[in-house]
Amino acid sequence: MVVETQLIPFHQWIAQGPLVWLAVVAALVVVGVFFSALVAVVRHGPAVGLELTGRVLGSSVGDLFCMSPRRVWALTRLAIKDSLRRRVVVVFVVFLLLLLFAGWFLDPSSDHPLRLYIGFVLTATSYLVLLLMLFLSALSLPTDLKNKTLHTVVTKPVRPSEIVLGRMLGFVLLGTMLLVLMGAISYVFVIRGLAHTHEVVPGNLVPANSDEPAGTEGVPLRGKSTRANGHRHDVALDRTGRGRLEMTQDHFHRVTSQQQGDRTVYHVGSPEGMQVARVPLYGKLRFMDSQRHEADRGTNVGDEWAYRSYLQGGSLAAGVWSFDGVTPQTFPSGLQLEMTLGVFRTYKGDIEQGVAGVLLLRNPKTGLTVEAKVFKSREFSTDVHRLPRKLTPMTAYRLKEEKDSDGRVKYVREELAGNAKGQYDLFDDLTDDGHLEVWLQCLDPDQYFGVAQPDLYLRARNASFALNFAKGYFGIWMQMVLVICFGVMFSTFLSGPVAMIATVGMLVGGIFRGFMIELALGKTWGGGPVESFIRILTQDNVVSDLPEGIRTTVAQTVDAVLQRGLWVVARILPPFGDFDCADYVAYGFNVSGSWIGERGLTTLGFAVALFVVGYFFLKTREVAR
Amino acid sequence: MPDDVIIETRNLTKVYRDFWGRQKVRALKALDLEVRRGEIFGLLGPNGSGKTTTIKLILGLLFPTSGQVLCFGRDATDVAKNERIGYLPEESYLYKFLSAEETLDFYGRLFRMSRRLRRQRTAELISLVGLAGAKKRQLREYSKGMTRRIGLAQALINDPELILLDEPTTGLDPLGIRDMKQMILDLRERGKTIVMCSHRLDDVEDVCDRIAILYEGELKELGRVDSLLKVRDVTEFQARGLSDTARQAVGQCIEREGGEVVSVGNPTTTLERLFLDIIAESEAHPGRRVVRRERDA
Repeated sequence: MVVETQLIPFHQWIAQGPLVWLAVVAALVVVGVFFSALVAVVRHGPAVGLELTGRVLGSSVGDLFCMSPRRVWALTRLAIKDSLRRRVVVVFVVFLLLLLFAGWFLDPSSDHPLRLYIGFVLTATSYLVLLLMLFLSALSLPTDLKNKTLHTVVTKPVRPSEIVLGRMLGFVLLGTMLLVLMGAISYVFVIRGLAHTHEVVPGNLVPANSDEPAGTEGVPLRGKSTRANGHRHDVALDRTGRGRLEMTQDHFHRVTSQQQGDRTVYHVGSPEGMQVARVPLYGKLRFMDSQRHEADRGTNVGDEWAYRSYLQGGSLAAGVWSFDGVTPQTFPSGLQLEMTLGVFRTYKGDIEQGVAGVLLLRNPKTGLTVEAKVFKSREFSTDVHRLPRKLTPMTAYRLKEEKDSDGRVKYVREELAGNAKGQYDLFDDLTDDGHLEVWLQCLDPDQYFGVAQPDLYLRARNASFALNFAKGYFGIWMQMVLVICFGVMFSTFLSGPVAMIATVGMLVGGIFRGFMIELALGKTWGGGPVESFIRILTQDNVVSDLPEGIRTTVAQTVDAVLQRGLWVVARILPPFGDFDCADYVAYGFNVSGSWIGERGLTTLGFAVALFVVGYFFLKTREVAR
Repeated sequence: MPDDVIIETRNLTKVYRDFWGRQKVRALKALDLEVRRGEIFGLLGPNGSGKTTTIKLILGLLFPTSGQVLCFGRDATDVAKNERIGYLPEESYLYKFLSAEETLDFYGRLFRMSRRLRRQRTAELISLVGLAGAKKRQLREYSKGMTRRIGLAQALINDPELILLDEPTTGLDPLGIRDMKQMILDLRERGKTIVMCSHRLDDVEDVCDRIAILYEGELKELGRVDSLLKVRDVTEFQARGLSDTARQAVGQCIEREGGEVVSVGNPTTTLERLFLDIIAESEAHPGRRVVRRERDA
């Protein structure tokens, strides 16, 4: 699975995430207070204007910190009742209808049916819920203002903060209830939709060893199962009649047999291996060049998509993953190493055979390196390698870290004295306090392996699929919270339709957030906005420096200021796409606690900020205008 | 601000502006008012005179362009003052998807009221406004009169000290109007202070202790209703049992004109007459009228 945005471990994220949040909030507070005071001074004069600004700021402390839970709850209930009156149930009915007719367009004979089903239910749910919440949140307050029903509320001892929070909570609670219902129904839909079985007909089985005549009893058997859900499996049974239907469409079935008179009846179990939530242990990737010197990246093969970097075949070039936490407790039965490699061929070769590669395990402290497995690459699917605790490698040697005359780190092979081909213990010999390095090399000359950090991982265990499915819905829930908070915030000072457009605009703007942050941090070619504009006018190349002079100095100075503003603006835009974990669930990867924690806190950060902004807009607007 | 003054406006001005800050209308011009504890105060004026604007400024629904409103000694934007206020808007702006019971319970929750007290107040008020038979029905099914009644009930849910009524009799049938007026008078008897604005002069005349007449945002008249309705340049005599000498003297004078003395005193006009006179005078002589404080006796 492609994971382009690297997930930072939670402990690292928590050290910087809140600081970024505080910086953005501080910048917004300064800008907000400045402009509010400016408007007040223009309207009422300096003395009254500043007094009014001070009074609003003073009263906001009480409004924000002394809210009454009872009043907030009353307004929350009102928002829920109001939404129910608007017949949100219709959305639920539409969802049920979609599921009802899903059988028409969901092809169970797909290569990856689980991805199809999960992609469908998560997409349908998110579109319906997000659209519904967009309408409700953006239209609710403006409708109340238009109908003047808000007049009878604000003339009670209700703080504006309570109104904003009540709306937000009401819609969030309603959306949560909807999501829980939809999630439960979707789960049943996926499980039941993919549930199937096959039959194993004795007449379709032949001895695995072609020398044995057909009908011979007590020998391993091979054959094909019957067709169900648009596919059939290869059957592999041992001498006892037990076995399995081999992996097809991401699943297999266990088979048992029973003798009934002179007939053997085979019982095929339900599909297994499909609804999984792998818990991967990711390593940190670094590269070795063809001389086994450390390099920033692998070879550039001209692929515009810079996600993967390539390892030159038939050389010492390697991708090295450094893992932490490789302990007998985590991996009691050895390592299960899974990888999805990209392959770049400079010549066609035997396309059926795949490209040869080797996996080496290295103890980062002692340098002991063993050749764990030679393999042929499998493109477009996950390659699984099980490495037992006791390894008997073809080759073992020591890779010693040294520095050459240029100060570059290189690794030098040093042969072992004595029993180089003996047995090695995975944990005793090859790990150092849980640290292990996995080296990947391409063996075929002139062919390349493309690798990215998430392409190779150790599968620690399986988490609960049901829980992972729920986490997929939690991702939608966080998106929903963002939509609601933006919708309510905008609706405190914009009309309903405009608030809706503004909310959608923020979400769409979030798509460009990454680029804007890069631009703000000066990581893009061509300088900041002014410098880029000059380059457009003068048709200068983005990589060449602008000629020195006043023009360039002024442009770069203005850019430096604009880039700080751009950084704040970019941080205001929600990273909406980051909250989508449908791929994790669909591809069978556990959504980690770090993912949940970081996104959860980010959502909370946005919600708090948007609540405060919404409060100030409502507080300073005339409700009866 | 003296203790018995509940509402005080000082030089209160409201200018409505458009999005670009350009002045659209000057709705209220330097209004100075005081509303005292326990009285029924009427705001009178034609459409667009600034009555509702004044009430909205008192409630904090609008912000003054200049000047100040104090309510219970607090600024009008201070929501804490609302603990002691009840407000019946011009139209009953209520949530139509709630029933009468749910409406009162919802507004009760916005105050510091226990569940028991809310239930008790809800039952009392529904009975007071005569909606016991329709308390479970959604407000969307209510007639306009019924909506006004439940609107009044929500304004009284917190047993407020000050009640602001914007056109309280609008939409009511004659019986309803009579009941509403009686309810207003009863509230005064219970020590409540009431500010009401209305087009209906008879309503104001029947229930108000003091009135302010506004025209195009300016205060044109202020004082006690009975005092304002006196025709000061005419003397009315009503006398019985005068001494012969006195009767003779007066009688001779009147008899010379061919009449009979019945009483001595000040005749009154109707509020309608007074109102129309003031409007006519204001149209003839635009600008701020000097309000005769001495008439506010």
